[in-house]
Amino acid sequence: MKKWAALVVALALTAGFLIVGCSDNGDDDNTKVGTLEFKANGEDFVRHGFVSKDGWSITFDHVYITLSNITAYQTDPPYDAHQGGQIDGKAEVKLDGIHTVDLAEGDETAAPIFVGDVRDAATGHYNSISWKMDKATSGPSAGYSLVMMGMAEKDSQVEDFTIKLDAVCGYSCGEYIGDERKGILSEGSTADLEMTFHFDHLFGDAGIPADDELNLGALGFEALLAMPEGGDPDMDMAELHLGHVGEGHCECD
Amino acid sequence: MLCLFAVLLSPAMVYAHGAEIEYTVASSIEIVAKYDSGEPMAEAQVTVYAPDDPSTPWLTGECDDDGRFAFTPDMSKPGTWDIQVRQAGHGDMIHIEIEKGSVIGGSSSGYSTGQIVLMTVCVIWGIIGTALYFRRGKA
Repeated sequence: MKKWAALVVALALTAGFLIVGCSDNGDDDNTKVGTLEFKANGEDFVRHGFVSKDGWSITFDHVYITLSNITAYQTDPPYDAHQGGQIDGKAEVKLDGIHTVDLAEGDETAAPIFVGDVRDAATGHYNSISWKMDKATSGPSAGYSLVMMGMAEKDSQVEDFTIKLDAVCGYSCGEYIGDERKGILSEGSTADLEMTFHFDHLFGDAGIPADDELNLGALGFEALLAMPEGGDPDMDMAELHLGHVGEGHCECD
Repeated sequence: MLCLFAVLLSPAMVYAHGAEIEYTVASSIEIVAKYDSGEPMAEAQVTVYAPDDPSTPWLTGECDDDGRFAFTPDMSKPGTWDIQVRQAGHGDMIHIEIEKGSVIGGSSSGYSTGQIVLMTVCVIWGIIGTALYFRRGKA
């Protein structure tokens, strides 16, 4: 009798061990997936044009920017781009490849530019993103990370320009700041993240005071036009703050 | 850059003819939003998101002339409260943890309750079995 009791107990424990030990703990959402889209946006500065800090009225025909190592993260605690450092995400989604997009594509009402998507991204809140502004390997901007083509007018002067920069910079960013939250992905749905580029930080903006911090740090049109092809080797992309997430901050290194 | 202060509303009684007004003490949160230059983000747009619905604004408002904004979170909704501040092409977000009383939900070890119970039972069973084995040997 004792042997039968011991056998029953042993079998019960074994069965319980197999059932409970092989079950998930309720925290694993990897089986729930959706589509995460990545977009790039030059905002109205590119779509509508603007007046640079040195008085040139600029419109763009093309703004080719090349992006690689695009990765979205779920971070907890949320990544602080002001402090910088490596992004430590509990979940990551990588968009493979090198992508060159034209931020000036479309008309003045154009939506942010689609870069790519990942269709089996784990659900959750992607509140951080990183990417590299990289050199294109082919196409109209081959060899350069940023190629801007357009027209600038000042007084009676008209300048058709092509500005080519080959600076490479890795951006690490926190959560998108804008009219709506982004990156909240639920099962079977689609969410998006945006890499935003503030070209007023390159050219300055005549619509704000000349002594504003933005204008003091911007290069201006004439300085960019005068640069050798590829850009000034001493130009520090980190100081120009080109990359953002909406209005949110990114660290560049 | 956003600075955070937690402020307790001071109690007050107000009497008026034919009326009685009671008060309750509640914990409110006050943020102070400034640009990197130190200048306050006066009249900046503020959006507060509660932990149970991170997509939908729970509260919207504006900072005052000193870049200050105060609100009282719903203490029945523990978790991370997200406060976004935006103005003139600049913005940031801070995250505030609210706990319900002193209880912190969830398991820090990452195991479910069932797994923890089973592991405990197995350990106890092993100790008992080992004790019985040595006791039988002595007998």
